[in-house]
Formats: sequence, C-alpha cells, structure tokens
Amino acid sequence: MRIGTRKLIDRSFSGLGFFSVALMGLAVLVILAPIITRGLGAFVFKGTVEFRRMQLENFERGHREAIEKEILQAAAARKPVYAMIETFKSEIDSMKINEKLRYRKQLKEVEGDIAVLLGPKPGDPRRVLPRQQYGQTRWDRAQVKLRQVIFRTEYDYSDTASMGTEVFVPRANDFAGTALAGLFPYLEEHIEEMLAPRITFYPRFLSDISIDSHLFGGIRAEVLGTLFLAIGAMFFALPMGVLSAVYLVEYSREGRIISLLRTCVSTLAGVPSIVFALFGLAFFINTMKVTESKSVLAGSLTLACLILPTVIRASEEALRAVPNTYREASMSLGAGKWRTIVTVVLPAAIPGILTGTVISLGRAAGETAPIIFTAAVSVGEPLNLFKAKFWEVLSQPTPALPWNIYNLCTEHEAVDEIRHVQYGMVLTLVLLVLVLNTTAIIMRARISRKLKG
Amino acid sequence: MLGQSALFLVTSSSAIVVLFIFYFIIRDAIPFFQLEGIKEFFTSARWYPSASPGEYGTLAIFIGSGLVTLGAIALAMPMGIAAAVCLSDILPFSIRQTIKPIIEVLAAIPSVAFGFFALVVFAPLLQESGGRILAVITWLLGLPAGGLLVIVLADLITGRIREDRRNGARAVLFVCFGGAVIGLLTLISSRLNDVEISSGTNALNVSIILGIMAMPTIVSVSEDALQAVGRELREGSYALGATRAETILKVVIPAAGSGIIAAVILGIMRVIGETMVVWMASGNAAQIPEPWYNILEPVRTLTATIAGDMGEADQVMGSARYHVLFAMAFILLAFSFLSNLASEWIVLRSRRKVGG
Amino acid sequence: MLLAQSRLTLTGLLILGLALAGLTGVHAEETRIIVDGSTTVGPIAKAFAEYYMGLHPDVQITVSESGSGNGAKSLINGTCEIADMSRFMKENEFAAAVEKGIMPVAHVVAMDGLPIIVHPSNPVSGLTVEQVRDIYVGKITNWNQVGGPDKKIVVVSRDTNSGTYETFENLVMNKEKMAESVEYVGSNGAARQRVQSTPSAIGYAGLGFVDQTVKALDINGITPNQSTVSSGVYPIARPLYMFTNGYPKLGSHIHAFVTLHLTKDGQEIIEAIGFIPVTAY
Repeated sequence: MRIGTRKLIDRSFSGLGFFSVALMGLAVLVILAPIITRGLGAFVFKGTVEFRRMQLENFERGHREAIEKEILQAAAARKPVYAMIETFKSEIDSMKINEKLRYRKQLKEVEGDIAVLLGPKPGDPRRVLPRQQYGQTRWDRAQVKLRQVIFRTEYDYSDTASMGTEVFVPRANDFAGTALAGLFPYLEEHIEEMLAPRITFYPRFLSDISIDSHLFGGIRAEVLGTLFLAIGAMFFALPMGVLSAVYLVEYSREGRIISLLRTCVSTLAGVPSIVFALFGLAFFINTMKVTESKSVLAGSLTLACLILPTVIRASEEALRAVPNTYREASMSLGAGKWRTIVTVVLPAAIPGILTGTVISLGRAAGETAPIIFTAAVSVGEPLNLFKAKFWEVLSQPTPALPWNIYNLCTEHEAVDEIRHVQYGMVLTLVLLVLVLNTTAIIMRARISRKLKG
Repeated sequence: MLGQSALFLVTSSSAIVVLFIFYFIIRDAIPFFQLEGIKEFFTSARWYPSASPGEYGTLAIFIGSGLVTLGAIALAMPMGIAAAVCLSDILPFSIRQTIKPIIEVLAAIPSVAFGFFALVVFAPLLQESGGRILAVITWLLGLPAGGLLVIVLADLITGRIREDRRNGARAVLFVCFGGAVIGLLTLISSRLNDVEISSGTNALNVSIILGIMAMPTIVSVSEDALQAVGRELREGSYALGATRAETILKVVIPAAGSGIIAAVILGIMRVIGETMVVWMASGNAAQIPEPWYNILEPVRTLTATIAGDMGEADQVMGSARYHVLFAMAFILLAFSFLSNLASEWIVLRSRRKVGG
Repeated sequence: MLLAQSRLTLTGLLILGLALAGLTGVHAEETRIIVDGSTTVGPIAKAFAEYYMGLHPDVQITVSESGSGNGAKSLINGTCEIADMSRFMKENEFAAAVEKGIMPVAHVVAMDGLPIIVHPSNPVSGLTVEQVRDIYVGKITNWNQVGGPDKKIVVVSRDTNSGTYETFENLVMNKEKMAESVEYVGSNGAARQRVQSTPSAIGYAGLGFVDQTVKALDINGITPNQSTVSSGVYPIARPLYMFTNGYPKLGSHIHAFVTLHLTKDGQEIIEAIGFIPVTAY
C-alpha cells in the first residue's frame, strides 16, 4: 500500500473516532433540547387573565384589586360575544323547524368551544370541576382553542385511494347572514383583550399542589415524593455501603470468600431494575409486610438495594485513594486499626464517598421501575413532615416524578392539554439529576487537585 | 475481632440481597413450570395470558428482546469503541477532560426521560418522515465509507501495475468503483425513502434510543481498558513505522480485547435490563416481525411485559398468569448473572495472561 | 476460618431478618383511603379524590391507576379500601376474596360506552361488530377490505390487564383470540394518542377519553354518545364499578366517597369528564 493511502486510512480512522464522540454530544443535545425548551414553558409562559384568576382563587396569590380590575376589563371585552349569542338565540326562535334544529346543534358546539376558551358564561352557576371553572390559562393553548372556535375541521374523502385530507371550514360560513356571523371576526380581533396575555414567571410550579389532576397548579407532591424516596434509599444504603467498603479495603485478605462477595456486588449491579421491582413487591411488601401496601418505606428499601453496589464501589475507590502513609503515621502514634480507620482514613475519604453518594442519589431519584409496585401512585397528598408523624409519612404511598411522567404522558385523559406539565416534570427530574452529577464532577476535580497538590 | 465479624456481616449484606433476590424470584417462578411445563414457554409464540385456558408462549417476546438488543448494540458497539479509542489515543488531554462530563451526563439522564423523548418526540417524527430520515442516514454513513473503500481498493489493485501506468489505471478504477458506490447508495436510499413506517413505536425507535443509552457504559469501560495498555506497546509499534490507525487496530485493541468485550457485555446488560423506554415506545405487540429482522415493526420485550402485566388481572396467587412473569424475571436474572460471570472471567483470564 | 465465616453469615441473616421484622406493623388510619385499579375509572376517582379532600382536609386519599385486575388484587390482599374496576369481579377473584375474609361489594358509579376509534382522516365511518372482530383477529388487514383506502391497518388494543380489554373481549371478540400483530398500550389515554398520531390505526377507549382528535366509528349504524349509551342502543357499553370490602359504614368517609356519584356535584363531575351518570336512566 502507498504511504498516501495509509495516511488516508489513518485520517479516516481518526475521523470515525471524532464522529462517534460528536454523535454522543449530538445525542445529548437532541434529547435535552426539546426537554429544556418546552420544559421551561412550564415555568415561563404567556399567562392569561384566567391564569391569574385561578392563582388568586386557589392560592390567594397576586394583587387582588389589580386582578379584579383585569377580570372586569376582560369581561367588558367579552360582553359583545355573549350579546351576539343571545341575539342569535332569539333569531333562531323565529325560524323554520329544520333550520332551527340545525342551528341549535351548531350553536351548542360553538358555545361549548367558547366556554373552553374563555371559561364559563357570566351568570352561569359555579361548576364543580376546576377545568370547567376557568378558560385557557395559557396563551399558547388559547390560540389552539381559538382556532377550534373559528374553524370547523372537516375531512375531504374524495380521493378514495388514500386517507382524507384536512379542510378547515370557517364557522362564519355556517352562520352567514345571521346575527352570529360577526362573532368570529370579533373573537379573532379582540382575543387579546378578552384574555390579556402577559409573560408570566411561575417558579411556584415546583411547590404548588396540583389542581384537577395537573390541569392547573404545580408538581409539589411529585417533587417531594422523589426527594423522600431518594434520600430514604440513601439512608439505608449509605451506612451499609460504607461499612462494606471499609471491610473490603481495610480488613479483607484476598480469598475465596472475598472474591465471592465481589462477584455478588457486581451481580447486584447488573440485576435489571424491573427484577428489583418484583423483588421489592415480593419481599418487602408481601413477605416482610414493612407496610400493608405501597409506601415510601418499601420504595426506599427497594431503591436502596439497587444503589448499594454503586455506593460500595464509590466508597471503595475513595478509601483506596487515601495514601498508605496516613495509615502508617496513625499506627506509629499507637492508634489501633479501628481507631485509625475512624479518625484518619474515613475523614480523608469523605469527599470521595460523598461524590459517590451524590451520584447514587441521582440514580435513585431517576429510577422508575422499582417504585411502580412499591411506592408510586398517580394522585396523593404531598408528603408533609410537619403535618404527620414521621412514621405515618414513611408508610404512605406518594406520587413521584419518574412514575408520574409515565402516568401523565400515557394514562391521563387530557394528554395534549398538559404537555407543558409533562415537559416541566421531565425537565425538573433531568435538572435534579444533572445538578447532582455536576456537583459530583466538581467535587471529584477538587479531590484530584488536592491529592496532586 | 468482634468488630471485624460485625463488619463482615454488613459486607455480606449485598450477598444476602443477591441471594434473597434469587430466592424470591425462583420461588415464584417454579410454580409456573409446574403448572404449565417448560416446552410451551420456550417454543410457542402465542402469548394470550388472559384467555382461558391461557397460552404462555414467550418465544415472540424473547425474539423481541433479542431484536431490540441486537439493534441497540449494532449502533452502540462500533460507535462506543470508536469513541473510546478517540478519547484514549487521539484527543489531547485537555479536550478529553471536557468530553468526559458529556458522557457522564448521558449516563445520568433517567431512563424515563429517554422514554418520554422516544414516545413524544421521536415516534411521531419517525412516523411522518421515517423513510426520509433513513435515506439521509444512508447517504451520511455510506458516502465517506464508500469513498474510503474505493480509494483503498483502487490502491490495492493498482499496486501490482508498473509505475508509469499506475496513475491512469487508478483514475479509471476510481471512476468505475465510484460510480458503482454512488449507484448502490442511490438505489438503497430511494428504496428506504419509499418505506412507510405505519407505527412510530417500533423496534427501530427503541433500538436507537437504547443504543444511545448503552454508549456511555461501553465508552467508559473500554476506555479504561485501552488506558491500561501500556505506552511501551504503542511506542514499539510506532517505532516499527506503523501509523496510528495501524497501531490501534493491530496492537492496542487486541491487547485491550478482553476489557472491550467486557464493556460490550455490560452494554448488552444495560440494554436488556431497560424497562421504561421499551414499555413506552416499543409498541408492545407480542409478535415475531415479518421477516424476523424487520425492525420497523412493533415488538414486545421481557421487561416491558413484566412491567405492563404485573398489574395483572385475576392476579390470584397461584395463577399461571402471575407466575409466568416471575419465570420471565428469572430468565432475565439468570441472563444478567451469567453475563456478569462471563465478563469477570474474561477479564480475569486476560489478567493472568498479561501477568504470567 | 471458612467455617467461622459461614456461621457468621448465618447469624447475620438472622439479625438482618429480625431487624426487618422490627420494621413491620404500621397500620393505616380511618382518615386514609387508598384507591387502586382501573385506568378508565381513574379520572373519576382522581376528580372525586380532589373534590373530597377539598371538603375534608383531614382525609388523605391516594389513587393508583394500575388496571382493574390490580384493583381487585389489592382489595383481596387488603392493600386498598376501594378498588376501581371497569368490569365486574371474576369468579376466581371472588373466591379468593372470600377465602381471605373479604366481601367485595360493587357500587356502580357511572356508565361507559366503548367507542371504536380511528384517525379522523380515515374515510371509513362505520363498521359492524363482526368487522371489528375480524380486524382484531387479523382476518381483515387492510382498510380497503372495509371500504377505505389501500392502507395496512395498525391495530391497537388495551393491555390484557385492563377491564376495558376484558369488556372488549366479551362484547366484541366472542371468544376469538386477537392477532399477534396487535399493539398493546397501557391505558385509554395512550390508546387515543396512538390513534390520533397514526392515520391508519384503529383502537378503542372509554367514552371519557374520546375527543375531537379521533373519530368514533358508528357500530352497527349506532353512534356512541351519551344518549345511545345510556339508552343501551350502542352495543359496546358497560357499567363502571368501585368495589369495597363489605358495605361501608353509613357516615364513614368511604361510604361518602363511593356514594359521591349520587350527589349533584358527583354527577356533574362524571359528566364533565365524559362519562354517563347512573342517574341518566
């Protein structure tokens, strides 16, 4: 082969390497981009007057007088809409029977869509479900709903060889020549006055309770549940993991038993998470009966089993990184082995152990499968240590971010209406895990600097 | 001494957990085989657990798991090893330090976020313009690979010809081979372009996502293995006049082979054990795709079946329908256990070779 | 050494077991109600739970949506107070309950139809029950066999653990088994989502989950809606249940919860979600 060709192969080989690394970076970007951009939409969005009314009525938030003034302004802008509908109703009464029936049906549709867009008609009795008490709280959703009022979607099935094509029929055509014809252009022109959209910053999304199964409000219960589960798992796994690591590093002599133990640790690390889920269900709930049914405690214990190997390995590394001179110095001063470990080795290894802990916390927070059967529910009270006894909190089931992301994007009856909540949840979870990992990375960099310096 | 025994006890807790997991899974798996026998479970593809009498053939589910794993590893293995080589041998140290966190971030993203992406973003995209995406990918990967092939082939063939005619012959060969490659690519991509993906939640979707998820594992473990190969080997190879590519392919990778195999095994375990992504985005159809390698069909995997069916109807303890899930979990568990042993054994053996 | 270590391991097992045993015995109180079961009844239970907790802040209600079968199982194992089910209990479930000293009592909270849904761009507007069955069995695989365009049918079904699936099996499938190529989804919402994003799909979901994004087919010429379902004309309809252990004590929170559907507010909630109140008859 010629030198040139060999060089070319060499270059293309490097190129393949670069390409693979770039692909990983790209994957991170492609996956995180929609999650971040649309997830932020849960925190920052154009909120309408309906949103502010909802906040005021449910959380007593905002400036009461100002909001009431806004509501009055919006009501004034909406007045002609209802006036037109009333005029049209009296018009219908004087029509022929078949026209009467047709228009009544169409009007009912329009009225329903307007109620979804703007909220209930003034003077209507108060509805029970919050989703019927308010109009669109978000401007982006409001525009979708406005389109549904102004256009009727029909399908053109004339081409029999393929699926039909969407045709948008202006509703104004349906009511041409009646009192209602003016309604649609009016809606289109004055929608901003009726809903008064304003850039809204809503950081309380994290700490607000959900209202009407996530149609309004925030994700307090899920965030708390995730934190409790992750910290609970750490509470069980950390002492066991650190003590195991101490034994493996400081006391054990290489032998059959020890290599068997190591094999067990790596086996445990390789067990699929869904198997942990079955184990947690069969062992902690059905056999040990730590609680009667799903609970934070059972979930934490299951997660603790799952992160135990990670904690052991991280602690082992941290202990091995402590230079032997430390141990020898302590021994030479007359300290015993145990005392040396407690007063010298462990303190020196703490940063390393913490790094491992932080990474495992992230893992426990993000795992879904193990909590499906042991802890997670779709609706529940946010955990509250101040309201209930510690024990009671541990024994109750809880919503949690990973499970409720799954639940909301597959099992909810209004999947599209609450996309922003789903994205917001995914963003919260990803950010939580990434913040934990970044902390770990920074800590590790510091430790390695310290050991070098 | 007492303290030491207490410590030993705590240390054996992880062993105890492993034992308990095996015990509880096997305890609930055995009744299934007593009730239904072994033959149907492994050889039939008819999965009707809710019918009466139920049919519990899991062949299709095994094939689904296998297909998805194959697809994911086909993507993650070459890419992962190439990236690991790039990190250990090609990139300067400072850049490596900035790339490492990216890999960690990728490893840290929770699986439910990947599943959400696969279901909400990726599946509709595949369904609307899947064929076009596949065609573009064909060109992107095929053109550089084809070009390289043409040049190398031309060079190899013309190597035997007399000096003064070489350039002309090479030019002729370039045109011939180049035309052939471009023609082939056009053919393939136009065929792919016309592919209609009827359902975006299919084996391809989850294979791509799982491949991305397995990459960090493969990259970091193989990179450690590559780092462990000493400088001396590399320098010796360079001294003999080998290029970097030749050094890596013929010296470094063989020396780090066992570590890389262990990395791939770990990657496979990661893929097999993944639940949320396949549950959300594989379509969960208990069928053997037609033909078996058709990754545009929805499939069903073991993990997703366990997760989805555990909320099982008439889950009265003792029904075959309940125990069959434990039987599947046992297969998963046994697989991960054996893979783990295999990877450990490979690493051990290589250490002995190097050490002795 | 080996022997000593194995003995230690045994002792360790014992100690660990005792420690875990010490963690047992936590009992739920009167004010905690756990609801588990059907994803179809889920929205009703969730809305009821929020409404009821709004009235009684001291009561804690948790709702899981894990499937009817799971609801029954939880009730049998005593891990929930109320089981949502979109089908009636089966005989073997009942037997298992009685064996454990549980006496399931059914409360019909609402009526539900089971619309067969397709993508709105699909020109097919009606099928017979037989045609639907043939599609699910795999005899009909292309829309042009039922008067549509030449497109392969993507068949979507609910997972086998759902009451909705069992209802469908009873009312449509007539003991025949579904084709292997059928895709399974875990919930009503997911079924609707698969259909609205897949032009050639067919699926089924509870009445409360059907909106403008999908088209409900006329079955045997009958359009599924409030009036056809409540009058019993629409062929694929069913009641939705909540099961309790024994009849709940009058005046207890559980009693109030499972009779909420008889109050004016309860009926309004059920209607708002898209189901049919039992009082519509």
